[in-house]
Amino acid sequence: MLTAEQNDELTQVEAGTPMGEVLRRYWYPVAFTRELNEFPVKRVELLGEFFALWRSPSGRLGIVPEACPHRKASLAYGVVEADGIRCPYHGWVFDADGECTEQPAERENTAFQNRVKAQAGKVEEMGGLIWAYIGPMPAPELPRFDTYVMEGFRDIGWADLPCNYVQIMENAVDPHHVEFLHGRYFEFVGRHEGFTAPASFGKEHVKIGFTPFEWGIIKRRVLKGASEENDDWKVGHPLVFPYNMRVGGGGIHQMQIRVPINRTTTRFILYTVHSPDGYEHVEQPVIPDYEIPVYDKDGRHVTNYVEGQDIMAWVTQGAITDRTTEHLGRSDIGIAMLRKMFREQMDVVADGGDPLGTIREPHERIDLPCEKDKFHAGGAQFALDFCDMGSTRFSPMLDTIKKIHISAADKIAVEKAAADS
Amino acid sequence: MIGRTAGPAMVDRRFAADAEAHRRDAPRFCPRCGGGLGGAGIVTEFWEADDRRFYCWCGGCGWAGEVTPSGPGVVGHEPEH
Ligand code: FES
Ligand SMILES: [Fe+2]
Ligand SMILES: [Zn+2]
Repeated sequence: MLTAEQNDELTQVEAGTPMGEVLRRYWYPVAFTRELNEFPVKRVELLGEFFALWRSPSGRLGIVPEACPHRKASLAYGVVEADGIRCPYHGWVFDADGECTEQPAERENTAFQNRVKAQAGKVEEMGGLIWAYIGPMPAPELPRFDTYVMEGFRDIGWADLPCNYVQIMENAVDPHHVEFLHGRYFEFVGRHEGFTAPASFGKEHVKIGFTPFEWGIIKRRVLKGASEENDDWKVGHPLVFPYNMRVGGGGIHQMQIRVPINRTTTRFILYTVHSPDGYEHVEQPVIPDYEIPVYDKDGRHVTNYVEGQDIMAWVTQGAITDRTTEHLGRSDIGIAMLRKMFREQMDVVADGGDPLGTIREPHERIDLPCEKDKFHAGGAQFALDFCDMGSTRFSPMLDTIKKIHISAADKIAVEKAAADS
Repeated sequence: MIGRTAGPAMVDRRFAADAEAHRRDAPRFCPRCGGGLGGAGIVTEFWEADDRRFYCWCGGCGWAGEVTPSGPGVVGHEPEH
């Protein structure tokens, strides 16, 4: 339970609010690379504000607030030109630094131009996603987390969810839900729809633990029949502050991204890289993305796959869940810890500091701790369950992905047999 | 977007008394530095058996801990012997 004021503060995303200011210190994926290939300018909503995002023919990326400084027409309908975006209304041009470089109807007047800067953010491309930073300058480095830069076959599912991102993040420090939402409930749905839910998801938790670290919180669990020697405890996997969770196992690496679009809309992205031992490079000229189902035609949640179950739980908690009348137990202690972390970072930013996970040094790759043998289920089996029972089921690449896992496993088996003989 | 969701921040009337009790009883000041916990810190209440526990963090001095109101009585324990 929190007070209404604390719930309010925790869930805000708007500029000028303590949490909104924390959120503005991070980079967010705001488009798929292929979108700007199809059309070079996109209207983007992020943290409750609208922007025009574009890529010029030379490849230069830019982002500015949507409203033209002249008379507020939308730059998201702008003309993409060699050196910036031209407003469709009267033709003013803004470059990627937000400088106004042309005012066609005005007399040669650089002084006026200098007074109408468009407050540009920074944009970079990484791993098939376009990333934007719209906070105060100088911008930190875009963190190159392992998943985005590693070798492997990429596949991106996504959905826009009608709820605040904090309740989704609270799920990332709630290990216990797995055995019910993805165990008992999955089994119940399967029984009625005629399929068998994966057994490893229903394993009982014996112990849970949380450790703060430089990128967020590491979540650990001991499942029945396992010990603290298993990866689920020894390695665990992290909530990456403030809006991601890194998961994986069985040759699958995934970043679960929850972008706060506005206070009550969150873009959920499952950024998955398939790279089992024995993986052989597959060319991907375009990284595929696909919308995963949230509702069926009757407006009911689609809950016959893992992430659909999570989505159902997050969304039915309410657009902004009422934390004044929740009833937490000891098993929710990770959630209390996460709220503390959010609160702590509000103070850090208010005092002029860099919040948790800000990186200012150029770097190649950031490796995050993540268990390999998840739910001690065995590698390839986990991968195939993951594909059939999770959002990958909706991927246009499903067959290719399964083949990747099967042929990699075969290759390893052959190599092993050869080594043993 | 289709589908039904609960409205924004709807207060669940069934538990209004719990919300009120939280507002009344949540620790207001840090036991270490005496700074306010409402503005600069955060207090999350959770329950365990008959206990109400308040997980507190003080933004002023960094203290974090649980506060459990005990009522007038106290309970000891008797090791097995
Ligand atoms: S048991 Fe946790 S929300 Fe119902
Ligand atoms: Fe889940
Ligand atoms: Zn204190």
